[in-house]
Amino acid sequence: MNLTTQKISRKKFLEGSAAITAAGLFLACLPEELLAAFTDPETLSQFNPNVYIGISSDNVIRLVIHRSEMGNGARTSMAMLLAEELEAPWEKIKIIQAVGDAKYNDQNTDGSTSVRKNWDSLRRAGAAARMMLEAAAAARWGVNEKTVFARNGEVHHRGSSKKLSYGALAIAASKLKTPKKLSLKSPQDYTIIGTPRDLVDVNAMVTGSARYGIDVEEPGMLHASLERSPRVDAEIVSFNGPEVERIPGVVAVVSLPAQSQDVNTSAAVAVVADSTWTAMKARKILKVRWSGGRSSESTDAKKTELQALVQKKGKISRNDGDIGAAMPEKRINAEYFTPYLVHAPMEPPNAFANVTEGKCHVIAPTQQPQRLRKAAAKFLGINKKHVTIEVSLLGGGFGRKSQPDFAMEAVALSQRIKKPVKITWTREDEVRHGTYHTQCMQRLDAGLNKKGNIETWRHRTAFPTLLTIFAPGAVSPAEFELAQGINTLPYRIPNIRTESYPVKSDVRIGWLRSVLHIPHSFAINCFLDEIAVSTKRDPVQMRLDLLGKPRILELSEAEKTGPYKQDTGRLARVIKRAAKAASWGKSLPKGKGLGFASHYSFFSYVAMAIEVAVNDENEVTVDRVHCAVDCGTVVNPDTVTAQIEGAVSFGLSLALFGEITLKDGVVQQSNFDDYVIARMKDAPEIIVDLVDNGDIPTGVGEPGTPPVAPALYNAIYAATGTRLRSLPLASTDFGGQW
Amino acid sequence: MISLTVNGKQKNLDTDKDMPLLWVLRDVLGLKGTKFGCGQGLCGSCTVHLDGKAVRSCQTPLASVEGRTVTTIEGLSTDGSHPCQVAWRGEKVPQCGYCQPGQIMNAAAFLAETPSPSEPQIEKAMAGNLCRCGTYGRIKKAIRVASGSVK
Repeated sequence: MNLTTQKISRKKFLEGSAAITAAGLFLACLPEELLAAFTDPETLSQFNPNVYIGISSDNVIRLVIHRSEMGNGARTSMAMLLAEELEAPWEKIKIIQAVGDAKYNDQNTDGSTSVRKNWDSLRRAGAAARMMLEAAAAARWGVNEKTVFARNGEVHHRGSSKKLSYGALAIAASKLKTPKKLSLKSPQDYTIIGTPRDLVDVNAMVTGSARYGIDVEEPGMLHASLERSPRVDAEIVSFNGPEVERIPGVVAVVSLPAQSQDVNTSAAVAVVADSTWTAMKARKILKVRWSGGRSSESTDAKKTELQALVQKKGKISRNDGDIGAAMPEKRINAEYFTPYLVHAPMEPPNAFANVTEGKCHVIAPTQQPQRLRKAAAKFLGINKKHVTIEVSLLGGGFGRKSQPDFAMEAVALSQRIKKPVKITWTREDEVRHGTYHTQCMQRLDAGLNKKGNIETWRHRTAFPTLLTIFAPGAVSPAEFELAQGINTLPYRIPNIRTESYPVKSDVRIGWLRSVLHIPHSFAINCFLDEIAVSTKRDPVQMRLDLLGKPRILELSEAEKTGPYKQDTGRLARVIKRAAKAASWGKSLPKGKGLGFASHYSFFSYVAMAIEVAVNDENEVTVDRVHCAVDCGTVVNPDTVTAQIEGAVSFGLSLALFGEITLKDGVVQQSNFDDYVIARMKDAPEIIVDLVDNGDIPTGVGEPGTPPVAPALYNAIYAATGTRLRSLPLASTDFGGQW
Repeated sequence: MISLTVNGKQKNLDTDKDMPLLWVLRDVLGLKGTKFGCGQGLCGSCTVHLDGKAVRSCQTPLASVEGRTVTTIEGLSTDGSHPCQVAWRGEKVPQCGYCQPGQIMNAAAFLAETPSPSEPQIEKAMAGNLCRCGTYGRIKKAIRVASGSVK
């Protein structure tokens, strides 16, 4: 029997929902693969009902978190799901970070999935443990199981004052079988889910004791800094190793060959030393001669190529109605450009590895420990059971740390020098050797009828696909890339066609917070604003009119990964709430403007109104951002609010400043002076309105980003009458007091 | 040999005099709370106090701190009770938390000199401390709370 969240059928999910209504209980089973016992890394817990929970006789409750903590609050929110059903006293839980192991189920901390994909499995794991403790108590007292109940770390007997702590029941509970039928709490009985909880790591974070990958210190560990090929796949001709090795503290200077897709490391020369600084300093006198490299891309030429593509008919992916047969009264079109971006997490990539006789130990700030484990096992030619991947805290990830490259460099280097070693990337390394958010050129064409209603909508999008990091020579977009925004367009337009293009590129493309939703939301929301202006309509009312009566939309195949649906009524609701909060329609003084955007992504609904001030020097100040968010059940309101605030800041950074350019295949930016991110003075007031409608939880980490850039550009139009169509703002005639 | 005081303790170091204080703290003294973010004094993650003033430790060679007093996040308080740390927890500032030791050290030195700052003063003082998670609004609020200007 397999009932993981991911694989649960739509029918099963609906049955589950019905059970809540009928009985106040959600009867379910624990997925088979979660029944393996949790192996306590410190002391053995006496009661290990499943891989996520360990309870010891001394009343320590260990909760195992299998997703990475990178500011997403996963270690707290996921513990809340377990603790809720376990009836665990929140202040007594101990969080254990899982190593990379398939027994935990999917550990890929990506796609805004940590809560939504573990919503069922973690609650069930908690419920199973709680029911076993209850059964143990009932047996101890010789009473009917129906007369006992667990509350806050103890099991109580209803008919008397008898009670036993979980610790006292641990050994007895460990001898029981996992119940076949689980009873889950009714939402009105939740005491943890939906309540604000401090991050479990907050104290460590403000006292400096939180440990990130970069802080790893292991016995005998050396430090390394790597000079990587400036172009993808360039090869090393020669390097002055002996000269660098003469520097005191340098232990070795060795070359490492590139690792191909999907690991994607570049050929590199590693300077290994007794401290991080010595390695970095010695690297400055390292001279490497490179040859070749497959990329010769230059940004201007590539942009021209993409622009030429969107003038031509592309490969059709969505085709509603008959766009060719429609005879619109008026036609309108516009082109939008969004550049390459890099992640710039404050903690640069880094990893520790120790490869010894047939074994490999890695500690890394990775979003994907299982992918890393597989890659290391394959590289070393050993069984993955001999590869241990420990996950540290991540000083930001944003998709960059989903890639295995930086940790695989450490694995290869440790194997080569036969010593434990930590590789620390510099900021320049991070900016120049990224897995970049793709650049994208789009052309939108709309046909309007006499009344100004949209009859036809043609959306052409041209971008290098991120499939290139998996397969050399991949040129055609993946379906999931097109599903992000354009093929999920929710509006009632009779004739819709979306088109895309094969694009050859040797730039490594990767995931970045909300991925293709960034360009697609930008183009769609700006274009809707242009149509509203040209037909003299209010952009908010026009969106609501286009949504019409609430409908449930079919998801594209790429999005059918769970019990989700796109409900246009929920989108309309957040649009109304954001507009109301921002006093949409109010009159504003000269130089001020209010702009609007709304977008459905990661199965959540977000609407945003941004208020800007633009002075006579075309300097833009973002005053205020109103966000309305529907992400279903809110597990930790503190975290959800913080994630939306963070996503707005991330969106503003890319809207105002974000731009990576290439010249002859080499990235031109290097550090925070030329790859600028938002500072405190760029940060507006952000007001977050959460719609908690009790529906299943949907994505939180990413959905706040896509509406930011278009709402900002629409606000600049409202303030000035100038229509901008290319990101970032810093590349236009507008600027700020930067 | 370079002598300095770190978090109240005298240290005599026989280390490369060019080594930035950041790496001395992290790799030689094992004080990992001070973070590396850019190596160019552009992000503020490595902020510590040198004789009470906020400095970027990645731009401070060991030779320049001879005989001086350094305080890191580990030494700001023994128990996380500095008003900034209390306010940071209270306002639920951290997301990933990585830049926060630098933010807190910068704010603590700033508030010691400017006990009741205005909003523009806060923005100016904190302009060199980057946070990619976007916790700026909460940092601003925490500084106001710590300064006692918000009850």
